[in-house]
Amino acid sequence: MKTILSPLKNPAGVSPVTSAMALAVLAALFLFPSFVESPYALHIMILLFLSTIQGEAWNIIGGYAGQYSVGHAAYFGAGAYTTMILMQSRQIPPWYGMIAGIIVALIVSLIIGAICFRLRGPYFVLASIAVAEIMRLAAMNLKELTNGAEGILTTEVPVFRIGETVITDFLTKVPFYYIGLTIALLTILATWLVQHSKLGYYLQAIREDQDAANSLGINLSIYKSTALAISAAFTSLAGSFYAIYIGFIDPPTVLALDISVQIVLICIIGGIGTIWGPVVGSLVLVPLSEALRSNLIAQVIFKAGLASEESGTGIFLKEHLAHAHALIYGILVVVVILFMPDGVLGWVKKLSAGKGRG
Amino acid sequence: MAPILEIRNVSKFFGGLAANSDVSFTMEAGMIMGLIGPNGAGKTTLFNCITGYYPPSRGEVLFKGQSLNGLEPDKVCRLGMVRTWQKVRPLAKLSVLDNVMVGALCRTSSLKVAREIAMEQLRVVNMENKASFVAGGLPIGERKKLEVARALATQPELLLLDEVMGGLNPAESEEIIQLILAIKKGGTVTQMVIEHDMKAIMRISDRIVVLTSGEKLAEGTPEEIVNNPEVVRAYLGDFHA
Repeated sequence: MKTILSPLKNPAGVSPVTSAMALAVLAALFLFPSFVESPYALHIMILLFLSTIQGEAWNIIGGYAGQYSVGHAAYFGAGAYTTMILMQSRQIPPWYGMIAGIIVALIVSLIIGAICFRLRGPYFVLASIAVAEIMRLAAMNLKELTNGAEGILTTEVPVFRIGETVITDFLTKVPFYYIGLTIALLTILATWLVQHSKLGYYLQAIREDQDAANSLGINLSIYKSTALAISAAFTSLAGSFYAIYIGFIDPPTVLALDISVQIVLICIIGGIGTIWGPVVGSLVLVPLSEALRSNLIAQVIFKAGLASEESGTGIFLKEHLAHAHALIYGILVVVVILFMPDGVLGWVKKLSAGKGRG
Repeated sequence: MAPILEIRNVSKFFGGLAANSDVSFTMEAGMIMGLIGPNGAGKTTLFNCITGYYPPSRGEVLFKGQSLNGLEPDKVCRLGMVRTWQKVRPLAKLSVLDNVMVGALCRTSSLKVAREIAMEQLRVVNMENKASFVAGGLPIGERKKLEVARALATQPELLLLDEVMGGLNPAESEEIIQLILAIKKGGTVTQMVIEHDMKAIMRISDRIVVLTSGEKLAEGTPEEIVNNPEVVRAYLGDFHA
């Protein structure tokens, strides 16, 4: 008989070593832009933050409440479009746009919740996909509002000032780095708060057995809707942040099904229903996808001298390996899911538990 | 004093099948009511109608004088009536303590208070040393006890136990019997018990209701029930009656 401690119960105090390490990581994250000037490195970090926000947000409804939404692009797109439309057509600064985006996402989540939470299991998954697809088609066709398939492009982000003091003019990636970091830390904090509250217990009860949860006094629709609302708000924040940072959105980049799938994968790869799972998932997926997109594999093969860049094979690799990045990415994801059903975090935990016993 | 539970002409139809038809009885506070009947007699359906999982097709359930018709199971639980499940439903990935805490959170929002209530209930079912175990890994006897502890943690006035002794060995059954009697002795919880073990049900029940084919066949004290020829016929066939 195994005596595994529940993931819910942390030992009363956090050890000084852990807190010191956490502080060191935090300090390093805040000082990172002072030491690293490479825009590419900053870009990767910003993508990591974005992915963490998306993953943590999905984790609340998907990981804790066990409602596998594969339609989170709806909230991501809601945030992105609201912010961009307000900025482009009404010249409203994106900071207000972010808040407006959250409100839109909350309304969408309430509607989706009212319709889809009557359904359970695979039917809920299908309904969530359908709603996101409706949003994508709407964005494609409501041309006056969304500019349709052409998307919305913004060339400059308005200068952020408080009173007369200019805080930042957004000419480098550094301000985006700090905004991303702040939102990411906020979502992690929000997840921690959910996990250490009645809400967290109730969501996990719903995940494990809806009928049992219901019989113990848990109002299923209220708690599922609450979880979805929190999740939608943070996903929308991620969408707004993405839109301002990249400066261009169209339906395929913010409302497509693969955005929804990507968000789910962050959690599945990292570890579902844990605070750090989405962080780990992002640390795995973001560098992987960047490496494949920049054809790192072909570069490594050339560097290792396995094939010359000018040979027939070399040209073939250069031509096709970059295009196959989605395929390779997919295969790797399948391998992780097959061999680490609890995600990388669960796998590491299992390994260390095994060592402890042996 | 008003009865704690009053079942008035409850019927439940699934298509053309009457799973319960015109069942009526009342329960006084503090008693143990046994609910027996052959397989398929409609015992669990009646539980589902009482606790809000199915709305009764006809009739009414009154709890402490209040009609429960149309109330969802969570509202029923908050009013003070809770059930356990014949096929146990542990929250498998949570610890034993967390399972019971989920029940306790019905009456409090503080995790600290809920943890105290939960530990108390685990002591009642003699499982406090299993608090940190993962619920999904427990053997059947302890899963059944966990169901009871979790239900008790919601601090009910009426506890409905659906075959808590099913699948248990004699020693484990005896422990459950002692537990049910101890709950009765506590004086705050009224109980309704579905059970197939006739010896057990005769020992613990103050009154017994017999269901067959969805209808109430008989009601009375355990002595009256064992000596009722109709009941004997329902269980053993005409030959023995």
